Amino acid sequence: MQRPLPSNPGADLPAHHAAAESLLLVFDRVTKFYGPVIGVNNISCRIGPGITGLLGANGAGKSTLIKLASGQLRPTQGSVRIGQHTAWSTAAKHHLGYSPDINSFYEEMTGWDFVYTMARLHGFSRAVARERTGYAMEEVGMADRARRRLAGCSHGMRQRIKLAQALVHDPWLLLLDEPLTGIDPGGRREINELLIRLAAQGKTILVSSHILVEIEQLASSILMMSRGRIIAAGTLTEVRALMKYRPTVVEIVAEPARRLAGLLAEFPDVQGVEIRSSGLVVRTRNPGEFFAHVGELVCTHGISVVRMQTLDSGADAVFDYLQQGQL
Amino acid sequence: MRLARAWFTLTALTFRRLVWSASTMMVMLPLLGCLLFVLRRHRGYEFSPREFHQFSEFMILVFASFIVPVCALAFGTASVGGDREDRTLVFLLVRPIPRALILLAKFSATLPLVLGLVVGSYWLYCRVAGEVGAVAFPLYLPALVYMTLAYVCLFHLFAVSFRHSTILALVYALFMEVLLGSLPGIAKRVAVNYYGRSIMYDVGKDQGLKPLDPRWFEPLSVETATWALIGIAVGGLVLALVVFTRREYRDLT
Repeated sequence: MQRPLPSNPGADLPAHHAAAESLLLVFDRVTKFYGPVIGVNNISCRIGPGITGLLGANGAGKSTLIKLASGQLRPTQGSVRIGQHTAWSTAAKHHLGYSPDINSFYEEMTGWDFVYTMARLHGFSRAVARERTGYAMEEVGMADRARRRLAGCSHGMRQRIKLAQALVHDPWLLLLDEPLTGIDPGGRREINELLIRLAAQGKTILVSSHILVEIEQLASSILMMSRGRIIAAGTLTEVRALMKYRPTVVEIVAEPARRLAGLLAEFPDVQGVEIRSSGLVVRTRNPGEFFAHVGELVCTHGISVVRMQTLDSGADAVFDYLQQGQL
Repeated sequence: MRLARAWFTLTALTFRRLVWSASTMMVMLPLLGCLLFVLRRHRGYEFSPREFHQFSEFMILVFASFIVPVCALAFGTASVGGDREDRTLVFLLVRPIPRALILLAKFSATLPLVLGLVVGSYWLYCRVAGEVGAVAFPLYLPALVYMTLAYVCLFHLFAVSFRHSTILALVYALFMEVLLGSLPGIAKRVAVNYYGRSIMYDVGKDQGLKPLDPRWFEPLSVETATWALIGIAVGGLVLALVVFTRREYRDLT
């Protein structure tokens, strides 16, 4: 009998509410020990269609979580399910495409041969395997370099081949461990576009990275991990909402700027106002209250605001802040 | 049908990679060394009990006790151990093939290759040895086949159990088998080659073959030794299947 999932920071991600149970990757109170060391600690979450970014510093537990999802590891406690199947089971592997973070291949093969062999290992006939290999190589932008030996391929090309072998059997779940490492900016954009296209087709994609900008550009939802736990889950905006009292720096271009600076300086949650040639730079310890107050000031004092933006709203800032809270 | 296709693909892939691996080069050198020895020492001699005895001693003490385990370990550990050390095993473990079938595919690719090498080279040596070889070939062939089977299974168990299985298997084959197989008393019964040698001495006794020092080596009967080798093979393979099916390979990525 399945236990109900508890409500915790790693609860259902917003993009997945409508997903059928059969298209979910479910972690249910998952704990994994490596001997006396804990890899992941009581994690529960449900990941559905769309791109979910898995963020965390080295040693946070990202790879352990992906290995549990890909059925390489079994949880010490709890369960991991891919649709209706336990992740460890053979049946789950039909639905799973996995791109590991290692850089190892059958080096004597060409990229085409490698992906074709992986397709054959899914039991496809030669004709179907050829067709699927062609499709996968085309998708990752390797069609013109498919016959190059893997031993002579660049790191970026090898990343694409890994992605192609994960896609070749058209799984609904893709687990990609650091897939953008070593890919040049142009290639990164192509891979991002591919992943976004696949997500639009209804695939569930879990992408791990410790480079936060990568995920910020790509993922509709994020899971942030630290010390084996999920410390935040949701869209980037939702995660930021967790940080109501996180100090934030806001740049405001307004007219008259000096008058607005004076008014803002009187507000108790404003820690400092700096007047620069580009506009005002304001530090606040309560962003929610601050933005509401700015709105009132603008209306009541007839101040014209040309532009207002937070200067540190990126995933890096969010991650740093949330991680500090865990320490 | 799809599972069968996947299984045959994996078997063929493993066979092809083993044939073109460094293991092939590694075993070719001692096999060629044996061929040169047989060419020099036994070629062209007519059958005589003394010739037969010398040829048999070479086959038992060098070929069966050293070359056969080396061939078996070179390929037996490489079939799974190679994938582990190269970190390519992960690409197999995430395919929809039950782990037991993955190991059986590896085993099915390895066994014919090792058997082919052992039996092929043994046939060649016997052909070169002329009349002595013609008498020896059918006598010792079953023992060599059973030994090969037992070693291949045993080294698959090594491969799924230990990360650096080739080194451990080499230490086992060169020291444990040789040392334990040469000890007096029942200690030698833990060595695979003891059972193989027992069969070979037993079937050769009609031709006047006997151990160099019967006080140190008391052969078992053919039946007992054969069943012991089959038991080691089946036990080793079943244990390897159990280990491989249940084990988490944390070192792959």
